[in-house]
Amino acid sequence: MILDSPILFTSVVAPIAISLALPLLDDSLGRRGTAAAGTVLLMIPAAAVAWIAARFGLGGPVVDPVFFRSESIGRFSMLLDGLSAPLAISIALVTVTISVYSLRYMEHRFEEFEREEGGGAPGWGVYYMLYVMFAAAMMGTVLSTNLIEFYLFLEVSLLPSFLLIAFYGYGNRGRIALLYLIWTHVGALVFLVGALVAGLAAGTFDFYDPELLRPVEVGALLPAGLRMPVVAALCLGLFVKLAVFGVHIWLPYAHAEAPTPVSALLSPNLIGIAGYALVRIVYPMFPAEFARLATYTLPLGLFTIVYGGLMALAQDDFKRLLAYSSVSQMGYILAGVSTLTPAGVAGAMTHYAAHAVGKALLFSTAGVLIVQMDGLRSISKMGGLASRMPMTSSLALLGFMHITGIPPSLGLWSEILILTGLAGTAVGGSAAYFSAMVLILLVGIGLSTAYAFLTMKRIFFGQPTDRTEGAEEAGWTLLGPMAVVAAAGILLFLWPGVVLDPLSAAVSSILG
Amino acid sequence: MDPAQVAAVVTWALPYAGAVLSLLLSRLDRGRDALAASLLGVSALSASILAWDVFSSPEGLVTWSVPWVPSLGLDAGVYVDTLSAAMALIISWLCFLIGIYSLEYMAEDPGRTRYWFFFDFFVGSMLLLVMADNLLVMFLGWEGTGLASYALIGHWHTDEEERCVGDVGRRALGVPMWFTPSHSGLRALVFTRLGDVGFLVGIGVLYLLTGTFSIPEIASSAGEWASWLAARGLLLPFLLTFSLGAMAKSAQFPFHEWLVTAMTGPTSVSALIHAATMVKAGVYFLLRFGPIFKLAQAELAAVPAASQAVSTYFEVVALAGAFTAFFMATQALVARELKLVLAFSTASQLGYMFLALGSAGLMGEFSSGLMAGFSHFMSHAMFKAALFLGAGAVIHAVHSKYLDDMGRLSDPMRLTMASMLVTALSLAGVPPLMGFWSKDAVVEAAAESGIAAAYALGVVTAGLTAFYSTRLVLRTFFYEESDNVSRLRREHRLHEARPLMLAPYLTLAAATLLLGVAWPLVGPRILEAVSRNVLALGEVPGFEVHLEPGMLAASLSMVFGGVALGWVAYQTPAGGRLLAAAAGPGPLRALREFLYDRWYVNSLYYRVIVGGFAWLSRAGFRYFESIVVDGFYHRLVPASAWGASELGWTFERGVVDRGYNEALPALALWIGRQFRRLQTGAVNHYLLLFFAGLALLVYVLVWVV
Repeated sequence: MILDSPILFTSVVAPIAISLALPLLDDSLGRRGTAAAGTVLLMIPAAAVAWIAARFGLGGPVVDPVFFRSESIGRFSMLLDGLSAPLAISIALVTVTISVYSLRYMEHRFEEFEREEGGGAPGWGVYYMLYVMFAAAMMGTVLSTNLIEFYLFLEVSLLPSFLLIAFYGYGNRGRIALLYLIWTHVGALVFLVGALVAGLAAGTFDFYDPELLRPVEVGALLPAGLRMPVVAALCLGLFVKLAVFGVHIWLPYAHAEAPTPVSALLSPNLIGIAGYALVRIVYPMFPAEFARLATYTLPLGLFTIVYGGLMALAQDDFKRLLAYSSVSQMGYILAGVSTLTPAGVAGAMTHYAAHAVGKALLFSTAGVLIVQMDGLRSISKMGGLASRMPMTSSLALLGFMHITGIPPSLGLWSEILILTGLAGTAVGGSAAYFSAMVLILLVGIGLSTAYAFLTMKRIFFGQPTDRTEGAEEAGWTLLGPMAVVAAAGILLFLWPGVVLDPLSAAVSSILG
Repeated sequence: MDPAQVAAVVTWALPYAGAVLSLLLSRLDRGRDALAASLLGVSALSASILAWDVFSSPEGLVTWSVPWVPSLGLDAGVYVDTLSAAMALIISWLCFLIGIYSLEYMAEDPGRTRYWFFFDFFVGSMLLLVMADNLLVMFLGWEGTGLASYALIGHWHTDEEERCVGDVGRRALGVPMWFTPSHSGLRALVFTRLGDVGFLVGIGVLYLLTGTFSIPEIASSAGEWASWLAARGLLLPFLLTFSLGAMAKSAQFPFHEWLVTAMTGPTSVSALIHAATMVKAGVYFLLRFGPIFKLAQAELAAVPAASQAVSTYFEVVALAGAFTAFFMATQALVARELKLVLAFSTASQLGYMFLALGSAGLMGEFSSGLMAGFSHFMSHAMFKAALFLGAGAVIHAVHSKYLDDMGRLSDPMRLTMASMLVTALSLAGVPPLMGFWSKDAVVEAAAESGIAAAYALGVVTAGLTAFYSTRLVLRTFFYEESDNVSRLRREHRLHEARPLMLAPYLTLAAATLLLGVAWPLVGPRILEAVSRNVLALGEVPGFEVHLEPGMLAASLSMVFGGVALGWVAYQTPAGGRLLAAAAGPGPLRALREFLYDRWYVNSLYYRVIVGGFAWLSRAGFRYFESIVVDGFYHRLVPASAWGASELGWTFERGVVDRGYNEALPALALWIGRQFRRLQTGAVNHYLLLFFAGLALLVYVLVWVV
């Protein structure tokens, strides 16, 4: 289904363009007005996705008409189908709700700046401009059909997020922002090198044909000797972004020290896009080469699960713990994708959505604790908060349930699908291989459950400490947006078909 | 939908509705409590209608389903055969009775919204689990019980000392042996989820091989998937992995530890977990899938290796059960907390059920072993619920969980005493109570399984069970009065439980007694009805209560020996001296400590597994992550870059810069000077140079070119 006009593209680019005016307008809009404007801007892509899903369904691909065409680069279009829908929906959901959440959180952050550094951070307009650019550009990456288009949107998402960390982050934010910028660019540039080589050799940068509505097997157009190096470059670039073990070390810094609403976007939404890109871009371009690589990335993914879980257990800083948990969760996505089975890949994409809901809730929880207890992030200084903040603790519990796959949460479905995919790989081997796989999963999921619910216990249960003694429940300005995210997670658990049915169809058609 | 289908849906959906309403109507306070409990009553009535329909209809089956996730071929549906109907009937009524008890027991608790939400959620999940027609819906209920138990075990999450289980301050091998509610909840969740991973992998394997989650369809293609797995040598690993969830949920060794500390929740929750829900999920799993595995074995009869794999599986189950039964019974002998005795006993009795269900697969008549497991499930559900509820009343009355603070309560709590006496004797296996018949059937199945060790453990455990049951009743109600009880008696604060609490456990005690007395007559008919149409079980021959004299003598002598020993120990002066001697230093005391510290298994888990991972996590973070990984990328790489840059700068300044700006001009000047020196004006100098140049040219032309 090709749309008459580039609705998706417009809905992504318009907010980015309009947001440039926010720094000029924030004096007249005030902080509430600016927040409202930013939120409304982000509702545009959300509304476009919702409208298309409602109007045409997600069963088949829906694309913009080609809005840019060039001999050497190819065609730019935007694609919403079963595969991109789970990502688009979760990005829309999280970016809009966290935009509302930002208002109260950043109030607190600005007060902190005022108190500790005598002001100095750029104001509301700049915050929301960067936030909108970052969020809308993520949507752009997910919907892209061309390598250059994908890369451009990736860049547009990286620079604002870099500035958000540099302006509003914690700790040594200048250095950490730079670290984030360098690392993500190492990833992006390695990816770009692969993309350029592939595109120039093949004569097109399209990985999806927006007119024939099917993936382009670019790999077939390349000389055989060039294919594996290109796949390796693309994958390595994406692995940096995905924070796979070995190239993960930037993530705990960036996600822990970013302003919390930005962490809530970075951690679940941004990095997981790399997992999507493996399925959307790399596999269809080079099915045979990626399948060969997958025998190595599967153990890498499993190891990342265990390693991230172990590192999370060692953390005292709540945000850092969540950051390591993201590393571990990306391991599930990589493992699921690497099975190259319909269940495993669909599970990985579902896990993107489940993790988005879960991590958004958990980072928001960390934010609530920071706001309500004056910057408190150290878990060892917390305790006994369940009786003082019952709503927050319920939402945090739901967040942990999403990342560990306990019903009623969307995470249950992704866990089932990923494990089914892995089971498919396991029964392909010997009894020893099968048993080893089960054992690794026991350890990995055991660790995930342990760090999740041990953290729940350490923060919310037991007796209060002197820091948490006088804690009070946060208001609806913080909890309201979180409740919306949680409700969406539960609804998606009850009606998983909304996402799963189109996703399964899309994955099956890609895997062939 | 016909009425039976409506009943099938209402039975599990209503408790879920109750959970949601508990949350929404929390303002109604006591009214909300009553609503939450009465919805369970309606659910129980509905389960009764359903059971009536299933048992009386010729096909013995009610099914209902609606599409849920079409792309996975997944329906939300129920499959109520005679087994599921019986399970649902027992579970729903027990939960309702425990709900009534909770109305009074939890009346003053500030966290009642949470309590009723998870209580009803628990019941709904358990009913969904036993009625599900496919593996995913079953898993959903399965995980639901896990979540609810986590929340309810940790209900008193502020972790006051008096809410803990175990002796505060006590350590074994350096590991604390007391557990706060939130710690116990965490343990329950982590232990059971470890098993669930195996369950889920098994579900995935079955789905991949059969393309469906539907349990009846998986049963009908049992031969195919089993032979596929057997051909690859994966049948036994698969069966064990698939059953891991059941082992963990039903607290079989080595997953038993979570159940022991699950006492930190309100006593009503203990009753719920131990009698009706949660731990019985694993037993149901074996009741449901045992026949399917057996069917697969029958279809694979031509392949000896495959058939052997299934037999080995049943042997593992039987042995795990027998060992757990014995292992946990020994710990019940010395427990000081009333509820802890019951907790050990639950794990031990679950071991009996596993023993029966494992033996079933090895004996001649599969169905009789299966029904031995079922009848023990049924009798245990009743007497254990009654025991826990009674224990809750006693603990409430004496304000202490320790047996040491009880004694001589037979007078003020006459009805509770009667109830606990009957049910404890049923637990002990004293005829003609229900527990006697079902335990006898289990031991008989163990004998027929041909595993001598399993049979021996089963018989010995019967003696241990009789001893600790006797000890429990005597120390609570008849043993010498503790200071605590004397003080309460003086203050006139000892009283019988209130009717709302009393009625549920008196009802259950009466049922245990009546059913036991009538068992020789009604038992076979009940079991015939329950096994008439069980998925994959096929035609079942008639049942009869028959008592093998030799075996009966063995088990009865163990039972009465245990009871007598308990009586001697706690009611006679000689016994008192013996106990005092055991308390002094010596091997008896060492043995007691060993049992009291749970064979040090918990300590080993914490030392080796928990400690190991904690060490790996800490050391991995401190040394590998922070020094190697972080150091490489953020110290070594930047430092190398810095070093390279320094080097480059040195080169730039020292070589390039000086080269171009100092050395080159200097060279040029020097060359100029030399040339100037050549320009001497003397002709012979020029001539000399001319010939030198010519010679060089000739040399080059001749030799080089």
